[in-house]
Amino acid sequence: MADPIHQFQIIDLLPIAKIGSTEIAFTNSAAFMLVAAGGITAFLLGATAKGRLVPNRLQSTAELSYEFVANTVRGTAGAEGMKFFPFVFTLFMFILTVNMIGLIPYAFTVTSHIIITAALAITVFLTVLIYGLWSHGLHFFNLFVPKGVPIYILPLIVMIEILSFLSRPISHSVRLFANMLAGHITLKVFAGFIILMGGFGAFGWAGAALPFAMIVILTALEMLVAFLQAYVFAILTCIYLNDAIHPGH
Amino acid sequence: MARGFRLSTELVAGVVVGAVIGWLLDRWLGISPWGLIVFVLLGFAAGVLNVMRAAGVVREIDRTD
Repeated sequence: MADPIHQFQIIDLLPIAKIGSTEIAFTNSAAFMLVAAGGITAFLLGATAKGRLVPNRLQSTAELSYEFVANTVRGTAGAEGMKFFPFVFTLFMFILTVNMIGLIPYAFTVTSHIIITAALAITVFLTVLIYGLWSHGLHFFNLFVPKGVPIYILPLIVMIEILSFLSRPISHSVRLFANMLAGHITLKVFAGFIILMGGFGAFGWAGAALPFAMIVILTALEMLVAFLQAYVFAILTCIYLNDAIHPGH
Repeated sequence: MARGFRLSTELVAGVVVGAVIGWLLDRWLGISPWGLIVFVLLGFAAGVLNVMRAAGVVREIDRTD
């Protein structure tokens, strides 16, 4: 039977260097990231090259994506959050594009590997930490001290708040990774059912229509998930950045 | 499903972070098993706090202070 995990295999395409015993290679994952980055750049450059006052379809798509992310940033992190707009926009467009490319048959889904989503989440986490400490100094740690808490349970609350802060990159990365992984495995398992049913002659062919219909529905659902997870990643980034910009609740 | 997924990862993340910190403290300070016990409980509390924040139960109260 077809192996539903096979799609996540990393393949070395081009060896680059060897550090110690670790092989550094240009993999299929890197290739798809490059395709996504190139695609976004080409799309945005192409859409904004003319700068029409009345936008055509391509330009209005680019304007729509700008407005969408800008409204998210302003709504969650306030007007001061707009200095992080390039960061959030890059994250959103990259994750969205990579998720959507992953839905094309035979394509590789970069975000279905936790190392990618963890790297993105840790980048956000460190940005929040470093910007918070840089702009507020030690007042940044007011984040861990909620107002109006009696002094005798304050140490406990502060410990809980610190643990809650440290757990952010984990839930941030696991959510995107697990959604993509589960969705793609489900798709492949149902695809496997079609092949199995098809082996039973004419009766099986009729039965195979059921998992096939399921695949069509699931693909539509996965498109929604691909967009939604990119959006959730972006909006959580904004919420975390809001803590760095305005600590002390 | 997306919402349930989000809430469950929030809870598990809190417990995992608590367990890892407790385990490391046990190893470094040689206070096994107290670090693990205390920090798993604290991590569970942090996980519940995460879930309540994600579900939008706590954040509104914070704002009104």
